[in-house]
Amino acid sequence: MKRVTLKAVVDKDLCVGCRICEKVCPVYAISVVDRKATVQDDKKCRGCANCADRCPRYAIKMVERDDPFDVGVDVSKVDYSKIRALCEKAHVNPEQVLCYCVGVRAEEAAAALLMGATTPEEVSSMTGMRTGCTIECIQPLLRLVEAAGNELHPNPNGWQWYGVTTTAWDFPQEVKEKYNSRGFYFDEDRELLDRIVKQGAEKEGD
Amino acid sequence: MDNKLMHPPIMPIAAKPSQYGIDPALVKKRVAEMPGMVSVRLQELFPDLPEVIYPGPEGALDRLYELAKEELRKVDMSMIKPDQSVNVLASHHGFTLLGGQPYAILLKAIRDIVIEKTGCKNVRLRAGVGMRFRETEEYIKRYGLDEYYEGKAKGVAPIDEGIPIETEIGTLYGIKAIYDADWIIHAHHTDVREVHFHRQIDKAVKPFSMSYARIESRSTYHQNLGPRAANFTARAIFESKFVQSKFAFGAFLSVGPHGVIGVDADNDLYAINDRATFIGCQLYGKVMTLFGKIDECIAVLDFPCPVPYVFSAGVIYANFVGANADLYDMEGTPLPPYTWYTEAFYNKQGKPFLKQTPPLNPAIKMCVHNYAWTGYPSAFFSEHIPTVVVGAEQAKMFDTEPMNLKYMDHAVIAKTTEQAMEFAYNVTGTDKVIIFDGAMGGLNCSESLAKLLIEKAPAVSELVEKELMPKWFRQRGVDMSVLERLKG
Repeated sequence: MKRVTLKAVVDKDLCVGCRICEKVCPVYAISVVDRKATVQDDKKCRGCANCADRCPRYAIKMVERDDPFDVGVDVSKVDYSKIRALCEKAHVNPEQVLCYCVGVRAEEAAAALLMGATTPEEVSSMTGMRTGCTIECIQPLLRLVEAAGNELHPNPNGWQWYGVTTTAWDFPQEVKEKYNSRGFYFDEDRELLDRIVKQGAEKEGD
Repeated sequence: MDNKLMHPPIMPIAAKPSQYGIDPALVKKRVAEMPGMVSVRLQELFPDLPEVIYPGPEGALDRLYELAKEELRKVDMSMIKPDQSVNVLASHHGFTLLGGQPYAILLKAIRDIVIEKTGCKNVRLRAGVGMRFRETEEYIKRYGLDEYYEGKAKGVAPIDEGIPIETEIGTLYGIKAIYDADWIIHAHHTDVREVHFHRQIDKAVKPFSMSYARIESRSTYHQNLGPRAANFTARAIFESKFVQSKFAFGAFLSVGPHGVIGVDADNDLYAINDRATFIGCQLYGKVMTLFGKIDECIAVLDFPCPVPYVFSAGVIYANFVGANADLYDMEGTPLPPYTWYTEAFYNKQGKPFLKQTPPLNPAIKMCVHNYAWTGYPSAFFSEHIPTVVVGAEQAKMFDTEPMNLKYMDHAVIAKTTEQAMEFAYNVTGTDKVIIFDGAMGGLNCSESLAKLLIEKAPAVSELVEKELMPKWFRQRGVDMSVLERLKG
């Protein structure tokens, strides 16, 4: 859940319509219309500041909202066994924090997917996930979207994300063997991550 | 008490104008100025620390520039042809070291010697960031690097256009602008900074998976591999055919916790890495181990950087919150008290999933946040350590910043620095204070804490040299005899 307190405001005199803002927005809230960046419905903006921080003309400012609001998904509306199954498929614990900035846990992202979200952007819009730094939680977000049965299609005109990468569970064995002696603890870390994924499962089963 | 080892406080690093921090005019008082504060010098605590070039007497920065040029002239640059292009790759963190000037000087020296040795004039600066996408833009202006690089200097961010890089572990992604030249020069430093993340494994390579990398690669590091395998992301990218085809050499500012030791430039990045490992384990390892001996304290944040990155004696706050564990011990500390993996592994009741997860350093009885920036998710710290933030303006800034919306949910506000410290003294009952204000060459602290540090330092030094370093190197597959030679 996120309290959205900021929104992007464009100075149209400074904007040159370069479209960088729309390439970096994690929820597609800003786009160039008639050669000017435009936030057509400011309720869609989740206040991450990517557009403001990458605008080469400093044409976008984040301003405090007069009407702050909350976004989030009520996990209790979804069968928790389905949430857990989806999370386990993506190798995360439902209670694990995925988005360190906003504090969104895996269960909330999973619930968004089970309630109909099919893309990373929709999950971000519904939960606020990946609307802080917009960096660190992209991989588990992509994993969850894919685990929910959705195909991933990066935006060919944007830079929002490009694709999934390797994990502890598909890491090549020959690479492990090559570098194990250099201080990397590949298998031990995988075992640790697996223990995390399973935490709490037995209790729910009871 | 050995009063000879206590000195008046060292001038803290000044507050700096930035979109990530409050107006420096609002920083009315530095905690180092308050009654009862002293400083201790690291070379007096640990007499075997090497001599430094900076901080030093007048002209020290000029001497550093000359030394940097001298070292760079020894590097093979014959692969760079006059009609080609070169990207000098920098990272935000270098500018936070020792006031920022030493790193800026290295970047200037690199440009000058590349032109001198190769005749190539198309030398560009590409400065990557952590999570504050405008941060290096600010530094480029502050240190005149835009003019020095004749307009060819720019900050790059992990959400900028990317480029796929094929590696031994599949496709990872770099920032396109980092690699848009014929050659790249990796301009970095030996400061250890985030030991909790990289664990001093391939530290010299890390920017290839961070400040030079796209979000996909950075998330691989912090979410996909685990706390002791994470930094392999960096090695995978660096060793890719694509990066190797562009890599010319590395040029590092050799820094210890007490200052700039020298400049290390080499075509072999892993040779630099071995030397950096030595500095990281021996020099920084002693300070970190010493910090782990602090039994109770008030930690003061008073430096122009985000909460986890404020410095005391070369150690960042994010490492001090883990000083109750040995962050270099790969087997004894599988999950440090603070990493993003650890933070992720706390349940909804605020308890760790695994019972053996060490808590944030219980010696920190309270944190006084006198001055520190936004731009890094820091709520985990205020959630687990009682925190007082000085000034409503600073509190408001955190309360509306996208990465810190919950930081103030767990912190209280004091109107002044004096009131914050008084509150901390009264509530905690301790008079031991450690100040993370970037004091160069030593650290500022209360007299009572200085006494403890002075008492413990000799035994810590022996412990690190005789017991811990051999273990740390063994775990990293590093031959001690090689490092003995490096020492010489």
